[in-house]
Amino acid sequence: MNDASRLMERVRARDAAAFETLYDEYHRLVYGLALRVLADPGAAEDVTQAVFLKIWDNPALFRGGNFGGWIARVTRNRALDVVRSRAVRVQEDVPESLPVDESLEETVIANLDGARVRDALERLPREQREAIELGFFGGATQEDIARETGIPLGTVKTRIRMGLRKLRNVLEGVVTV
Amino acid sequence: MSAHEELLDNVAAYALGALPPSDAAGVERHLRTCAECRREYESLRPAVTAVAYSAEACETAESGAAVASPLLKSRIMRKVRAEAAPRRLAPPAWPAYLAAAACLALATVTGLQNLSLNDRLNRERAQTTQQVKELADLAAPDSKRMPFHHGEVVMHGPRLYIAMHDMPMPPRGKVYQAWTLAKGAKRVAPSMTFMPKASGTTLVALPEAATTLAAVAISVEPEGGSLQPTSKPIALVAL
Repeated sequence: MNDASRLMERVRARDAAAFETLYDEYHRLVYGLALRVLADPGAAEDVTQAVFLKIWDNPALFRGGNFGGWIARVTRNRALDVVRSRAVRVQEDVPESLPVDESLEETVIANLDGARVRDALERLPREQREAIELGFFGGATQEDIARETGIPLGTVKTRIRMGLRKLRNVLEGVVTV
Repeated sequence: MSAHEELLDNVAAYALGALPPSDAAGVERHLRTCAECRREYESLRPAVTAVAYSAEACETAESGAAVASPLLKSRIMRKVRAEAAPRRLAPPAWPAYLAAAACLALATVTGLQNLSLNDRLNRERAQTTQQVKELADLAAPDSKRMPFHHGEVVMHGPRLYIAMHDMPMPPRGKVYQAWTLAKGAKRVAPSMTFMPKASGTTLVALPEAATTLAAVAISVEPEGGSLQPTSKPIALVAL
């Protein structure tokens, strides 16, 4: 069990100090991600508050695995909800419920920080980076991306897949930057 | 291209959250049974988390990523520290929980009296006080009860509870969310999300003042909750 999972155990027992430690550790990720999706500091703070209070109100929502990955997915979904509040929802969630091999995820995510990932993303071919960012931060489907950029759907799929693979390899240390 | 190849082709976009719902559902079903696609998904998901981390706000000015106001933490922690109530209790049986409520409260208090004084005691006492209050609300003869399938909404003065029995677990990645309709309002407002216990009774104390509300509804929503309902309510109770 990692540190965040241990803290969440204490949050389940209504331990405010454990919650505060989690906030200190993860609020930059939550706020930064919400700000990136919404481009509105006030709305990003609202989403940050909503995400953390949801965790306090219902810690059982976290069912194990990598906490940073989980809270990022919850934040992204919540922020996109704000963007789409009067529009048709696209894929409802970045999938967060399928159990995955946690050791793989931990290998890549251990010691992750924004600066290192930004550096790795910057080194992706521009078209791969743009496809990934449009899909993740923009909430666009791969069909949307194909339509907006005038690129065949098959090419968009390849760019997303190749970009994610390359990013993973870079962060795992298989490929040095 | 075979059906499998087509699904494999969509796994990366699925991991990124960039598929329309109908396609995403198909990939998710397929992942549960296909080892090859699952390996692909497991290898890509950490990269998606890394993409999220690329937006992490930094304290340094040159990063260009602003940080949240320190007042935000104050607001959140004020609410957290003031929160004394456990949201859910597990009375021993349904529908006999009302009859057992006073006994359970008494047993809890008696148990605490036997504990030595330590740092945990004050917190436990505060929680117990809240539990006793909630149980008293549920057992009060003047409380108003409005049944729905799998449970009932209980209103006592300004306090409002959803008590459920054998509520089925929502689909993976989903939670139940309560909605409130203020008197005179035309649209519902989002309230708490919650998960039922695997068995027995689940009790949810809603933070809203019951006296200001005209109705309460429950729907199934994505984890993290929604700002507006995205599915038909499974319960709609007029107060």
